[in-house]
Amino acid sequence: MKSIKEDFSLMSILLIPVAVAINMAGFGLVKLLNLPIFLDTVGTVFISFLAGPWIGAIAAILTSVVSGIFDPVYLAYIPTSVGLALTAGFLTRFKFGNNIIKIAISSLVLTIIAVVISAPITVIVFGGVTGNMTSSITALFLASGQQIWSAVISSSIITEFADKLVTVIICILILGSMSSRYLIKFKYGEKYINKSKN
Amino acid sequence: MEKNIFRRLYPTTKLMMTFTLIMSAFVIPGYIYSYLIFLICGIIVYFCGKLKEYTKQVFKSLILLFIIIFIIQGILISKGEIWFKLGFISVYKEGIMKGVNLTSKITAFVSAFTMFFQITPIRDFVISLEKAGMNSKAAYVVLLTLQIIPEMMKRTNVIMDSQKARGVETESNIFVRAKAFIPIFFPLILSSIENTEERAITLEARGFSSGVKKTRLYDIEKVSYDLLFRILLVVFIVLCIIWRKLWNI
Repeated sequence: MKSIKEDFSLMSILLIPVAVAINMAGFGLVKLLNLPIFLDTVGTVFISFLAGPWIGAIAAILTSVVSGIFDPVYLAYIPTSVGLALTAGFLTRFKFGNNIIKIAISSLVLTIIAVVISAPITVIVFGGVTGNMTSSITALFLASGQQIWSAVISSSIITEFADKLVTVIICILILGSMSSRYLIKFKYGEKYINKSKN
Repeated sequence: MEKNIFRRLYPTTKLMMTFTLIMSAFVIPGYIYSYLIFLICGIIVYFCGKLKEYTKQVFKSLILLFIIIFIIQGILISKGEIWFKLGFISVYKEGIMKGVNLTSKITAFVSAFTMFFQITPIRDFVISLEKAGMNSKAAYVVLLTLQIIPEMMKRTNVIMDSQKARGVETESNIFVRAKAFIPIFFPLILSSIENTEERAITLEARGFSSGVKKTRLYDIEKVSYDLLFRILLVVFIVLCIIWRKLWNI
């Protein structure tokens, strides 16, 4: 319990609004540029990598609530983003660096978590669709004769994996370009300090 | 002073009203009442003079979703009896009924929450949470989030324009657009992260972590009929449950 409280330093707390804004900005920018991924969890994964799972979970909840102001449909997906934040936070304990295999493994783990938590929500609450790009792939699988569960799960695996891979790569790149003076102020910051640079 | 009775309610009372409406939609069987919630919330919002924004937002978040739900449930999942045929497409009755049930509950949920956010200024809501015992740091984080997001959107446009001026293509095929993402997104994130350090210093200079009770420039108070309203809401939801139990539907 004490260690959780230590996670909430002033710097970490002040990073939460930035993470939420990064989530929103990523989502908005992807829409603006018409790219076929979501990138609505960059901020969450980023802050979980840097400041630990609990800060990440708070950022995830806040993101869902703020997007819920504009579209309450997102409120149903709070468990998914919290799950992602906690997983990303616990993944940090294994050092990342620029290792391609580790990036692939962590995005795979994040994908599995996202699919396992969001597929039941999609099927039970919305009957299999949420009105974004994944739905058209789901419809394609359904039309080819699959059951609703397998259609939702396989379509979300495809889109989520592409999304999470790009998300993790972006997070690692951002962490790599931050200064060590800044990184050291966060719980997991020293893991990302590039020693050869100094 | 605001004259409207709904607007003057304390934010937590409004939140309670929202949850009562949603709960009643799940307690009362059938889909008609759940769809009616859209109208009930609409009337409340009308008295607050925000009807246009409310309708626009509810339709914006629901219309595409509902179309896809009906297509998937009614046409693509083939089970039960065929209701009618449109050319080569056969529509299944069971699927349509399931779609109606799903959409009615989603309508209730979405319209109740949209109503809440339309009639409650977020600042008031956060203050009421803080008065109810929420940590003042947490309350500050929520308020700061709401301030940062519009600022960030503005900065996105500024960075996008300046990168365009430097020759970054943003309108072409998918690979070109994907390449444009990086020179816009990275400066945006790195600059906003840098700002947090300055903000931390500024806050500490004003004694943010001192732990003393804070004074407030902007304040909200409960109105006389808040308690009455809350009791009415509880009575309403209890009546709903009793009604359902007695008739055993």
